Amino acid sequence: MPTESENKSWADIVDDDAGLLPAPTEVISKGIKTMTEYVYDDEEKKTRKYVRTYKIEKRIVSKTVAVRKAWAKYGASKDDKPGPNPATTIVAEDVFMQFVTNKEEQDKQDDDPLDKLKNLDQGVVKCRYCKGDHWTTKCPYKDTAAGMLPDDKGPGISLSSEDKSAKGTTATKYIAPNLRDGAGGKRMDGGGKRAEDACAIRVSNLSENTQESDLEELVKPFGQIAKMHLGKDRSTGLCKGYAYVHYRSKEDAAKAIAALSGHGYDHLILSVEWSKPQGQ
Amino acid sequence: MKPILLHGHERPITQIKYNREGDLLFSSAKDPTPNVWYSINGERLGTLNGHTGAVWTIDVNWTTTRVMTGAADSTLRIWDCETGAIIGVVPAISAVRTCGFSYSANMAVYSTDTQLKQQCEIAVIDVRNADESIGDANAILKIPIPQYKVTSILWGALDETLISGHENGDICLWDIRNGKKITSVSDHTGSINDMQFNKDGTMFVTASKDNTAKLFDSESLMCLKAYKTERPVNSAAISPILDHVVLGGGQDAMDVTTTSTRVGKFDSRFFHLVFEEEFGRIKGHFGPINSIAFHPDGKSYSTGGEDGYVRVHNLDPSYFEFCFDY
Repeated sequence: MPTESENKSWADIVDDDAGLLPAPTEVISKGIKTMTEYVYDDEEKKTRKYVRTYKIEKRIVSKTVAVRKAWAKYGASKDDKPGPNPATTIVAEDVFMQFVTNKEEQDKQDDDPLDKLKNLDQGVVKCRYCKGDHWTTKCPYKDTAAGMLPDDKGPGISLSSEDKSAKGTTATKYIAPNLRDGAGGKRMDGGGKRAEDACAIRVSNLSENTQESDLEELVKPFGQIAKMHLGKDRSTGLCKGYAYVHYRSKEDAAKAIAALSGHGYDHLILSVEWSKPQGQ
Repeated sequence: MKPILLHGHERPITQIKYNREGDLLFSSAKDPTPNVWYSINGERLGTLNGHTGAVWTIDVNWTTTRVMTGAADSTLRIWDCETGAIIGVVPAISAVRTCGFSYSANMAVYSTDTQLKQQCEIAVIDVRNADESIGDANAILKIPIPQYKVTSILWGALDETLISGHENGDICLWDIRNGKKITSVSDHTGSINDMQFNKDGTMFVTASKDNTAKLFDSESLMCLKAYKTERPVNSAAISPILDHVVLGGGQDAMDVTTTSTRVGKFDSRFFHLVFEEEFGRIKGHFGPINSIAFHPDGKSYSTGGEDGYVRVHNLDPSYFEFCFDY
């Protein structure tokens, strides 16, 4: 049975009495505005407390811009208070620019598996009679039986011996395209990922307070970053202690490993190593 | 970077534009109320209430005193930017697809759709003393477009010419003194969804449904560069400070519900202006990007999407540190 204490984890629930809601407050100190608001939720019969913080910035702008900043709001925003209204203005999640390293390589990789397939196809079809590069039913010698005479005694024997030898090769057994020789899992990952993986490092033993911006600050001095991922807990948003950073070049990644491995960061000692490909 | 999400519209965004200083951002959507925002913190200045149909296009004049919107309710409206009040309503023969103030804001141009048994038309009006009577005044010039309708329009140099992009991919240059076509090119094979000038107006970038964006000289309409993608391009903008072009697009709106955001490729893509090569992407929208605009200081840009959100991106230092290796 769900108890009230269980529900408390998601939002701060103040009390159940709707009649006595504290008035919203606004405190400005040291350039930080803290707004506290209490809202009674009819559906859940709970009072929720919302705390929003804003940074107040002073900027020097041209006169016309300053005049416009002081304009009164109108239309649907007429009754809005100064500052952004949380109903219309939301701060979105962090995004990063993903740098695309070299396009030619990506295009080549996209074509690659197809080429491989084509090459494979030459071996896939093999005539049982004459060993030619066509289906058995299409064999020009299938009625004459002349084609099979030179290398074997009879059709029955040749078939069984062929079957055995065929099992060892890739010719008869179905192999998924991504497992075929040379395709090497490129199709699964999508183009470009493989090249990046070579320059990826894994940073572990990060403290749980680490943010994306901290990580960026930490790893950026070593070179251009193509991509990075900070392992975070979904519910709490705290760092889970590891991160993957993809550099644009292998040298940069090697530099980062050399410099950061064993580096003391926020009371913990970092461990940095090459990122292992998935599934290993 | 943490983009600011502006949620003032209930329907897909049709166009977004900054004013000259870039402190205000104007957005129009397929709902009847265009919005005005402060670009710095995403605060909404107000809404422009009065239209009764989808608003296709929005523009602001050089001094940020007047805003003009064209809508599917067959009207062009001129608003006071400070108060959000209607100054004048210009009735059009059909839905207004594009509009634009001239550089001096003495004149304005709008174009109408081919519908209601009306053919497409480009009209130039005098907006020097815009008031309630502007609806009764005659247009300075009307250019009938018999075949392919106008999908985007720009004012040429010194307010003497007009550049129109058409449904079939043609781009035409018009002399507004006599309404004659000076030249036209057909480098694109699909509808021109958007055209935007570079900072000094000597070149403009087009965004076309044929999966490419192209750079043209604004006087000769010579095609200078082409940026190729694998999906329709809905909007493209040139950075005012760097040799970069940003493209926004995605597959057709009708296919959106059947594709995930990962394969949909709804990210904004940065190309080098000269080398025509892509170097970066920024993800964000859950639908195709319909309109893209660079802040006049080049340090941030905004996108408006089919998902109804406007995202204001303040570009990271890593973007400015990036050097294109060649």
